Amino acid sequence: MLRRHPWIIPASFLILPLLVYFTFVIVPTLNSLYYSFTDWVGYGADFDFVGTANFEKIFTDRLFSNAIKNTAIWLALAMTAPTLLGLALALALQGKRAINTIYKSLFYLPICLSPIIIGIIWVWLYSPKLGIVNIFLRGIGLDQLATAWLANPNTALFAVFVAWAWQQTGLNMVIFLAGLTSVPTPLVEAAKVDGANYWQTLFKVIIPMLRPATVVVLALTAISALKSFEIIWVMTMGGPFNKSDTLAVFMYSESFRKFKMGYGSSAAVVLFVLTLVIIVLYFRFAAAAEELYD
Amino acid sequence: MIKRPPRALNWERLLGRAALYFVLTILLILFMVPVYGAIVTAFKSQAEVAAGGYWTPPASLAAENFERVMDPEDGNLGLYLQNSLLLTIPASILSIALGTLAGYALGKYRFKGDGLLFIFIVAGMFLPPQIALIPVFRLMNDIGLYDTLYAVIIIHTAFGIPICTLVMRNFFQVVPNALREAALIDGANEYGIFFRIMLPLTLPALAVLATLQFTWIWNDFLWPFILTQRADSRTIMVGILNLTGQYTVDWGGQAAASLIGSLPTLFIFIFFQRYFITGLTLGAVKG
Repeated sequence: MLRRHPWIIPASFLILPLLVYFTFVIVPTLNSLYYSFTDWVGYGADFDFVGTANFEKIFTDRLFSNAIKNTAIWLALAMTAPTLLGLALALALQGKRAINTIYKSLFYLPICLSPIIIGIIWVWLYSPKLGIVNIFLRGIGLDQLATAWLANPNTALFAVFVAWAWQQTGLNMVIFLAGLTSVPTPLVEAAKVDGANYWQTLFKVIIPMLRPATVVVLALTAISALKSFEIIWVMTMGGPFNKSDTLAVFMYSESFRKFKMGYGSSAAVVLFVLTLVIIVLYFRFAAAAEELYD
Repeated sequence: MIKRPPRALNWERLLGRAALYFVLTILLILFMVPVYGAIVTAFKSQAEVAAGGYWTPPASLAAENFERVMDPEDGNLGLYLQNSLLLTIPASILSIALGTLAGYALGKYRFKGDGLLFIFIVAGMFLPPQIALIPVFRLMNDIGLYDTLYAVIIIHTAFGIPICTLVMRNFFQVVPNALREAALIDGANEYGIFFRIMLPLTLPALAVLATLQFTWIWNDFLWPFILTQRADSRTIMVGILNLTGQYTVDWGGQAAASLIGSLPTLFIFIFFQRYFITGLTLGAVKG
């Protein structure tokens, strides 16, 4: 009996998790696609099918193109600064020396904090009169640089980004550290014996060997950058003048503040498609990286 | 870069290392400024905060901020902490249990389409929550669970399945098959093997997932923000954000609330760091 139906046993283990996953993850995802073609307002069962009207509207919506622009800036910053800093920290702190262990722990401490709390704390840091950032700038005589970081349309997005990067850097460092443990020591030793100095070893041996970890870091950073909502919401709510309004914030505001759920769904679909693009790119690069080392 | 001899002189290496740690220490101090700010502000009396010294160490340790935010008539954080525990513990347990079942099926059995099914489940890890926000909001309204902790428990259980399945499948894959075959020969059935032999072996993997899921669900804001409304079903992160509206200029209260809300995950970070970090890298590198 068991031999003839080998799928019965695994199916009995799978049925419950799959049922929950389907009902509360897959079905809602597909439903979002459906709502994006309707004019639902968030309450009642009364709504009409409006075809592609939401998408036609969204691509001419000034607020949407503004959100796309902010998301692009956010993404570009996210893929560079925390990646490079995380890599530098991992290279500097690899190994089991006691001081390294303590430094590493402190650098990744922000990972265990909620974005809500990080946002609240950074709002004080940026406070125009009493925040440490401006106190410091005035202290070293750079008074003209001190500004209301979160209320100034030119700095708000960047100021929020720094708070976000404060958490992301530690996470990237952890992934790079894991990647570094898989760089074979004999290879590094061989390079040294051949007379390569530290920087040559770093750029010719270690960094190329870190390619799989780098692909993971870039993909995860891009995905979490796209969906990051909380920290922006806490710090600026997308303001001032929508200058820090990213796609995730735009989607929330349209759906749950203006109650344009159909329209908000189409923004969610755009966000979803962008994420899919990153996932596809990730799997292609990850496969390429694996081929390289097999 | 000047080419150095393969073995640099000792003092030169020492100097290089000193410079490295000097830079690292400066960076670390900058990195710790937000944490330092939260701690010193939380322990200052309101009078001292009002006097303007936010970034100086407190003159004396004051508990008044903590008392204020915990007071049911004021900050009411006690209720929100309780709600967050009532949400986080069941949702962590349920997601890990379901992930263990799926991970076992995918790690220990071969069947048609198993690889595809695995990718299909793990892909859920990368879904932005925004794509499900509106339909879940509607679904929870329709089934009468809107504004209850059950709604948030269900959704965190479901969205936790991908990472839990991934970690457990990777774990079960390396459990030797001989263990299972020996038990089969001894007359154990498939479910007996799972519960009596495999489950006890999974403790380290369960610890990894427990730290990961607890931290992630505890810290989450978006789902409870969308799915709950009344104070009775408010979680800690939503509660803390509400407080910042109430305590606009009361940094001491905000700081005390932030510290209280971070205590459970800081506890995990301090005592279970090894498991937590393993989880982060497992989910990342093998995903």
